[in-house]
Amino acid sequence: MSALGDVGHLLLTATLWQAALAAAVLLLLPALGGVISERSGVVNIAMEGMMLTGAFFSVVADLAWHNPWLATLVAIVAGGMMALIHAVVSIQFRADQIVSGIAINIFAAGLTVFLVSRIYGLQDIGHVGPTEGLPYIDIHGLDQIPFLGQVLFNQNVVVYIALILLVATHVVLFRTRLGLRIRAVGEHPMAADTAGLNVFAIRYGAVLTSGLLSGLAGAFLAIGISNTFIQNMTDGRGYIALAAMIFGKWTPFGAFIACLIFGLGQAIYDNNSIIHFSPYLLSMLPYVLTLIVLAGLVGRSIPPAADGLPYVPGSE
Amino acid sequence: MPLGSVIFAFILGAVIVAVTGANPFAAYSGLLCGGFGIGCTQGENPALEISNTIVFTIPLITTGVAVALPFRAGLFNIGAEGQLLAGSVACTAIGIKFSTLPTPILLPMVLLGGMAAGAFWAGIAGVLKATVGAHEVVTTIMLNYVAQWLVRYLIIGGPLQLAAGTSKSQPIGAGARLATILPADNSFIVFGLPASVYRVHTGLFIALVAAAVFAFLLWRTSFGYEVRAVGQSQKAARYAGVSVRRTIIFTMLIAGAFSGLAGAVQIAGVDHNLTDKYFSDTTGFDAIAVALLGLGSAVGIILAALLFGALHSGGAIMQSDAGISSNLVLVLQALILFSIAANFVGAIRRGLPFGRGVTPAQPSELPPAAGLMSEAAVPPPETT
Repeated sequence: MSALGDVGHLLLTATLWQAALAAAVLLLLPALGGVISERSGVVNIAMEGMMLTGAFFSVVADLAWHNPWLATLVAIVAGGMMALIHAVVSIQFRADQIVSGIAINIFAAGLTVFLVSRIYGLQDIGHVGPTEGLPYIDIHGLDQIPFLGQVLFNQNVVVYIALILLVATHVVLFRTRLGLRIRAVGEHPMAADTAGLNVFAIRYGAVLTSGLLSGLAGAFLAIGISNTFIQNMTDGRGYIALAAMIFGKWTPFGAFIACLIFGLGQAIYDNNSIIHFSPYLLSMLPYVLTLIVLAGLVGRSIPPAADGLPYVPGSE
Repeated sequence: MPLGSVIFAFILGAVIVAVTGANPFAAYSGLLCGGFGIGCTQGENPALEISNTIVFTIPLITTGVAVALPFRAGLFNIGAEGQLLAGSVACTAIGIKFSTLPTPILLPMVLLGGMAAGAFWAGIAGVLKATVGAHEVVTTIMLNYVAQWLVRYLIIGGPLQLAAGTSKSQPIGAGARLATILPADNSFIVFGLPASVYRVHTGLFIALVAAAVFAFLLWRTSFGYEVRAVGQSQKAARYAGVSVRRTIIFTMLIAGAFSGLAGAVQIAGVDHNLTDKYFSDTTGFDAIAVALLGLGSAVGIILAALLFGALHSGGAIMQSDAGISSNLVLVLQALILFSIAANFVGAIRRGLPFGRGVTPAQPSELPPAAGLMSEAAVPPPETT
């Protein structure tokens, strides 16, 4: 049978869509963080590193205390700490935000493996027992709905949290005064400053939030899905989240749709045993699609006006 | 300033090592031994360590140039890695396909092929930037991943795979290989070891020539003038009659050719085939630190490449001698990046600028790529 026919068959299974939603959420959390950070005018390509740091510390904490909730909290804080570095370096010291982001990613990749060797020896970190992972939750009743029940209501707890955060991010960004302020700071920081907004505080808050969300995604990856930490286990997901953010034109729901497309690709990749198509070529899909969007073939994707520019009080 | 940043980073790194209960002196003496052959305690051969450092330095020089040139035009080429991979792929493919050709024909073919592939890869980002204003940071990141997955596809189940179950390509033909500097002769003893163990190869001269070409292009040609003009101010450059679009595209093409050359030289001089090692290669990212640390000058880039080459080479010795994970090198590299980008050293000298508006606005101190997002986010409005 043709590769296309195989994929078509695969697309009809609820298991695939269930996996696709989980994979999408893994991208959605850092993508939401990216949306918030970039809407405030701070370019964030450091989601990869923040996520990896979160993943590492969630496993360390879980192995130490056998409590996935505490471990998740530790991961969120760890992601936030990395974001704090990015914030201090790029907001306070006005460093190039891209250089800072790259440095965060390199730092996280090096530090996590370095710490594995310091804490556990040069060997593997070890597995978290299944009971110590983040639980899967069946919503009784609703999970009996054919097809949709398995896809939507038989998921890891983080999936539900992420979907709530998705709506919350949208509401906050576009329906509240805080959201207006975040966007104002990202579009025209000087005008926002003149209007009495604290540009630095808002940008700090936004960058920190991106770290917290990426840390949560790291915990989901490490103690929700994999139950272990592996060197560089995020494997570019932070960058795919970046792509999703751009694909989604810097909006939460746009990013979510992009994440679903990429998540579906990931799920097909993971179930590649029945398709005869190179999974490696399939893995290019998110990046190629994003390039196509950037090329303007599917509508322009325009960043916030002051995205990437350090704010120097008193100047534009 | 760069030296201060490096020292600052090493001090921070020492703190991290000490906090995690290891001995920073042992770590750094391991790095020093592995990097420069100085102060080795476990009987390492200093000449061999220096040879290894140079092998790491060679692609860093060429990719460093590939990042530094676009910097001058206000473009941030994060895609040196993808361009390097494209060059490696082209070099490997040509080297296998025409493996029977003699060196004088095949070697230029694989090197030029690598350059063309790298130029093509970077050219995509250049054209997108110049025509629709797509940010080159984002496009080059995407292109990096496309290249990485392309390599995986090619050597795992794809047309370049050696045999089923392997994750490497066939070796390139003998005519496609760069000679080592020392003859591959086991009876010829150099510094107490047979000459064939020294992997340092003639790609070193190619890298040095690349650095010279970069300096010549930038400072002695009208193209270099245009690059610098565009980097200073696109608007002013446009008024001066410089075609911003053309300059952006050509800058990226040339940068890509440099990176592609680095990838081709790596295949032709060191590995002789495409392996899974290239999945986790970070040369193109190290190049960003090299370009920033080298302040965009040819000599600076060579020195910075030597430092990072030494760190990479030293990491292995540090791990085997002092038992400290070679990943500390990545931590140090990140700290150096933070330190240069944020200019911590300068900040300490001025008194820390905490609080708003303590220091006056210093737009000239902004990093080279900072300005690009404002005016460059929109495509240059050209009609000619």
